[in-house]
Amino acid sequence: MSPDPYRVAPPEPHASPDVPRLTPLVQAHDLTRRWGRGSSAQLGVDRVDLNIGSGELASIVGPSGSGKSTLGALIAGIDNPTSGSLVVDGTRIDSLSNDRLARWRGRTVGIVFQDFHLLPTLSAEENVELAVQLADRSVHRRERRERSRDALASVGLADKRRRLPTQLSGGEQQRVAIARALVTRPRLIVADEPTGSLDQASGHVVFELLAGLTATGTTVLFITHDPELARRADRQIEMLDGRIATHTAAGIDMSPLVAAGTIDEQVAR
Amino acid sequence: MIRRLFREIGRAPVRILTSVMALALAIGAIGVLAIPAVSTNSLRDAAEADGIPQVIVPIDDSKTFDVAGIVGSVDNVDRAEAEVLTFVEIDGRTTDVLGVDFGNQEIDIVHADVGRLPAAAGEVLVTDGLAQIGDRFEIPLPGGEASSATMSAEVVGVGGTAFWSEDDVVFTSLESAAAIAGVDGANRIVVGTTDLSADALSDTSRDLRAALTEAGITTTSLPFTVPDGHHPIEEAIDQISMLVGMLGIVAGLVALVLLASTVNTLITERTREVAVMRALGAPNRQMRRRLRRLALSIAAAAVVLGLPLGIAISNFIARMILTEFVGITPGFAVSIPVMVGSALFALLGARIVAARAARRVTARPLAEALRDRNGSPFGRRLSERLTARVRVGALLDRTAVRNGVHQRARSFAMFAQITAAVAALLIVASLATTITDYNAAEIEPVQWGSRTFVPGPGLDIDASIADSDPRSEVGIDIAGELEGWETDLVGFAPDTLMIDRTMDAGRWFAAPGEVALSTGFAERIDVEIGDEIDVELASGSHRYTVVGLHPDSGRSVFIDTSELAADMNRPGMGNVVMSLDEESPAYMTGLLSVERLTDISEDDSGRDAILMIFTAIGAIVVAVAGLAVASGLAVGVYERRHEFAAMRAVGGRRRHIFRVVVAELLPLGTLGIGAGLVAGWFGGAAIMESFEASNAVEIGYTFATGAIPAAVGAVVIGSLLLGGLMVRRVTRQPVAVTLRGAA
Repeated sequence: MSPDPYRVAPPEPHASPDVPRLTPLVQAHDLTRRWGRGSSAQLGVDRVDLNIGSGELASIVGPSGSGKSTLGALIAGIDNPTSGSLVVDGTRIDSLSNDRLARWRGRTVGIVFQDFHLLPTLSAEENVELAVQLADRSVHRRERRERSRDALASVGLADKRRRLPTQLSGGEQQRVAIARALVTRPRLIVADEPTGSLDQASGHVVFELLAGLTATGTTVLFITHDPELARRADRQIEMLDGRIATHTAAGIDMSPLVAAGTIDEQVAR
Repeated sequence: MIRRLFREIGRAPVRILTSVMALALAIGAIGVLAIPAVSTNSLRDAAEADGIPQVIVPIDDSKTFDVAGIVGSVDNVDRAEAEVLTFVEIDGRTTDVLGVDFGNQEIDIVHADVGRLPAAAGEVLVTDGLAQIGDRFEIPLPGGEASSATMSAEVVGVGGTAFWSEDDVVFTSLESAAAIAGVDGANRIVVGTTDLSADALSDTSRDLRAALTEAGITTTSLPFTVPDGHHPIEEAIDQISMLVGMLGIVAGLVALVLLASTVNTLITERTREVAVMRALGAPNRQMRRRLRRLALSIAAAAVVLGLPLGIAISNFIARMILTEFVGITPGFAVSIPVMVGSALFALLGARIVAARAARRVTARPLAEALRDRNGSPFGRRLSERLTARVRVGALLDRTAVRNGVHQRARSFAMFAQITAAVAALLIVASLATTITDYNAAEIEPVQWGSRTFVPGPGLDIDASIADSDPRSEVGIDIAGELEGWETDLVGFAPDTLMIDRTMDAGRWFAAPGEVALSTGFAERIDVEIGDEIDVELASGSHRYTVVGLHPDSGRSVFIDTSELAADMNRPGMGNVVMSLDEESPAYMTGLLSVERLTDISEDDSGRDAILMIFTAIGAIVVAVAGLAVASGLAVGVYERRHEFAAMRAVGGRRRHIFRVVVAELLPLGTLGIGAGLVAGWFGGAAIMESFEASNAVEIGYTFATGAIPAAVGAVVIGSLLLGGLMVRRVTRQPVAVTLRGAA
């Protein structure tokens, strides 16, 4: 089998030996997303540099229009950057074709949307099973079903697996979406305001579910409006006008370090 | 309204314009219904302008006689003229020659389109394409040595009459035509009447025969009547028009489904937008009015585009029919009733469908409508919940099938469009195979190789001429009437070799008074073996006994030549020499018209002309249906773009989306093909049945099974291409951009 041309070499170890290092799962450099041209151009993400390590729970916060969802979409591979480079799990995804990107997404990323985006004609179990099928055709039907049932059980919906999305509450639909995201055992989960449509209690349940995934080594990128939830993340990234405004890890403001380029290659926990 | 329309176009230009164009084409297709009116109007205009005769009486040459004196006193006769009809051979083609009194014509008036009318002996006017002004040709005259006695004719004009427009004709003076035919007087009388009704003409026809018999003038064929001032070809055109009308109805049904689905979609997709406005305080009534206006503006735009298209289509096909079958080039005509009808159809149809859809959209609870993106969510109806319980097949196929059930109105519309397209294809193909088979069946019993005729309408051939020729036989072929149907009276020897005497039932005639009948004709007029029939001949009514049914596919009465000649008061005579050879017997000399079986069997021009017309109409129906399916599919795929984007977000590739679209389309295609085959079979059979009923003949029906693979292929390939195209469009944008639109 020929090597994947989009696969990049793992980064060099950081120069400073006294800071514990994680292998970065996400490496964004000078990442820009712009729509339109000339004076009417809209800037979604403006020259962002960002690294996120494996197994991290990172939250992105910011006001509406700050670019947090756009950044999440770029990292999840559902949008294409206008310029800059983006390496996720060792694959440079900014120049992949649509179909390659889709295949990559299926194997690497799980996405949870604010609006769930479940297929309305499939039951909860079928929605989850479809994600496995699309990600890896070689998985046998029986295994596919078992995995989806396990995933639904893990989000507390084993008894509602036959229900259609319209027969589930918003919180339940979001839990199905989480089960769909995690059933493929992705390295990265991008959750774009997953609690936005939910009440506070349901929101906390969803957050706990996602946060718990990091224990298995899954990286979770949690985009939210809720500062309280954001604070519970390992690292908080605040965005403003398409750029990273502050970068906090373990309660320490790391923005100066980021600005100085000290942690531009790898990120300390 | 126009401003709103442009605003709507700006929102979704491709979809709105596709809907408008599809509707316009549908309205245009309804224009097919105008073809009969457009054709008929052109024919009637031509008939009126040229003073079409109402009764034509072929007479045996009776020396010079006073036409007005003999027939002028007959009731209902307004004017009458004598003519001479004969033929000559020009460039190897048998060409009619009509002698008229150019200076005093009131009936079937010959006009010169180019040049002038003949004024001197030997001058002729010809129909377009036969010769050019200034051309000369030598016409052999009878009664002398063929090589020496000729008439030098010069073409001085090109033109003709509406009555003769489908033939090649040389028009000349009465005297010149009489010289060519070798007769002393006229051999035909044309009559104009005051009462044009069919009943009145039937009476006039009978009175004319009586008056001529009283004057000692004999007739061989029954007079030919042209009722109601129509063009004589109109009856044949009417039958084609009837078929055109049937396909027009198919086109209309396709248009109806298209109209309903387009308007329905336009309104349903605004559910959320309407809900927002309702939430802001807009009254339901105002919203409904707004939605109705939107639908009406789309329909109005389609009418503006569709009406000229319909006029163009109807004129194009009417021109094809008239040029192919009548030989006249009609002027531009418009059927106001069809135009108004199709415009009303579009506007009222849009109004009715829009009103219903608008009521549905505004009746939904606000909270539910605000959540909704693409109409009612899946799982509300029992049918949807039941379908969701069926857990068979791949997941992608399940979602496709369930969506088909969810969008049942659109699914039904697409199914109906595919059905119509397949049915139209099959009907056209079945007509082709049926006509081909009929043409073959028509000449199957024929065993003669050639038939030789002499000029003149009478029985002018002595039957003894072929006594010493074992390969030839003198027969009779004249027109009579049986049970109100124009019938061919065909005289053969009882032991003839010129036709296959194998019967469907009974036996070939053997004794005086016995006849055989075409099987299909006998069935249509409810005559059985052993029945007595009264046949109206020029010489009067004659009674015969039916002893056999022959597989001939026309309306024929087969009878002993000698008996028929005696009944026609011309014992021992005939009007055709049949030969087993392709060439006319050597003893037949002078001016002859030879009909060869090989020429008949190889002549596909009639079939090709009919097929050309039906293919054109079929193509219109298929185009409308295809556009409708494409439009329905485009809307369906567009509405599900968020769903497809979600699939792509979890790893779905373009081929997965394609599979979903095709999986949804193929069952509809399969059902549509099945229903289309059934509709095509019954539609074709109904057309042929109506053709048989209106002609009292047995045509049969051959379903074009050979066209089924083509129809299936067209649907499958069309579905794949359309699906590919739509999926390509819907997957062009990044997933996030599509999903952002959903939020």
